[in-house]
Amino acid sequence: MQFEKEVEILAPREKVWNFIWDVDRFIACVPGCKEAKTIEAGKLYSATMTEKVGPFRVEFPTTIEVLEREELAHIKAQASGADNKIGSRMKLSLDVKLREQGEKTVLGFVAGVDILGKLAALGHGIIKRKADQVLDEFAQAVKKRLEGDS
Amino acid sequence: MLRPFRLEEPESVKEVSELLGRFGESAKVYAGGTELLLAMKEGLVHYERLINVKNVKGLNEVASDNGMVRIGALCTHHQLETSPLLQQKLAALVRLEQNVANVRVRQVGTLGGNLCFAEPHADPGILLLALGATMVAEKASSKREIPAEEFFVDAYETGVEADEVLTEIRVPVPARNSGVAYLKFGYLERPSVGVAVAFQVQESGQSVHDIKIAVGCAGPAPKRVPEAEEHIKGKGFDEATVNISKAGEIAGRAAQAISDLHGSQEYKEHIVGVLLKRAFQNALGQYRAVQS
Repeated sequence: MQFEKEVEILAPREKVWNFIWDVDRFIACVPGCKEAKTIEAGKLYSATMTEKVGPFRVEFPTTIEVLEREELAHIKAQASGADNKIGSRMKLSLDVKLREQGEKTVLGFVAGVDILGKLAALGHGIIKRKADQVLDEFAQAVKKRLEGDS
Repeated sequence: MLRPFRLEEPESVKEVSELLGRFGESAKVYAGGTELLLAMKEGLVHYERLINVKNVKGLNEVASDNGMVRIGALCTHHQLETSPLLQQKLAALVRLEQNVANVRVRQVGTLGGNLCFAEPHADPGILLLALGATMVAEKASSKREIPAEEFFVDAYETGVEADEVLTEIRVPVPARNSGVAYLKFGYLERPSVGVAVAFQVQESGQSVHDIKIAVGCAGPAPKRVPEAEEHIKGKGFDEATVNISKAGEIAGRAAQAISDLHGSQEYKEHIVGVLLKRAFQNALGQYRAVQS
């Protein structure tokens, strides 16, 4: 499943960039994400992703690895996790790009999400919709947090 | 494999509600079990307690009074597809029930369970929306009616609160000058699009007085489409027959269709339009047959 999102934030690019690397504040914008830890600053992080669709709950202890980093412009990362209780795995690839647009910064990201295992029984469509909702909420939370600060 | 759980056997709605209140999210109401037990066997969900409501009395009857059919939430699909009262009052629901899943599911699966599990590919909720049904939810100390439009919240989510029990489905009996139809399209037992239409004809017998259009299965939850209804309401049959294409386009978009192995979003939106046209003609045919 591939998702592309873009959000305009009324804040300088440097501020948006610094926000992304402020793990605690950044993670607070990711719906269902908790217990974020820095294993190796700028390279390796861990967190637990939880999500719910009706009675179905998942909890993925996740490792996030930063693969590429171009200052103020681009981050490429990947994440993976497994919920052993329901026998499912999650893989995420993330390309984040920042560009200036007047006084605003455009934060764009392309996310590839794969859910494998029993959870797939819920149906591709339901999972895709949920993932889309989570990414939308995330984008809006980042915007709100950064614009609220300015 | 099914993991161990404790089975509670309450005999009244009050007891069920109290158990739900006491055990919260670790407990779940269980009736026919055709969907819940499948999910539990797959290991997708686990509850420490199942509250078997099949011993609760008075929830498996179909009755009719004051222009309203009252269906107990524990009525099985088979009970509904063979109910003479329902055949007389709500023939469209009987036809729908005859085609729910398969004979094994219909024997044990209940209407209440189907509605509460809110699996997106379920038929009954769509027709109940078009018929203007309400769902009765009870708890230990209170009872309320939830209009069908507020009942379906999202995929697998309903307006029933954590300590409430769905006890009854109330459906207004369509008047003699009505047309009602439900059509679905899908692969084997799994509907990927469902469309329901229910309308009343004006006294003149020449135009549609009121219409309800509902779509489901294509998206996360059944929903009514008032924007599509506006193109038909108050129109003569000929104009309504022309406008139904436009209404179908609107209903298709409103369905929030999701692309999956059973078809793309665009394909399902198209099918909504096709089914709406057919359902409207089908309902109109029924109305004319009754009048002649």
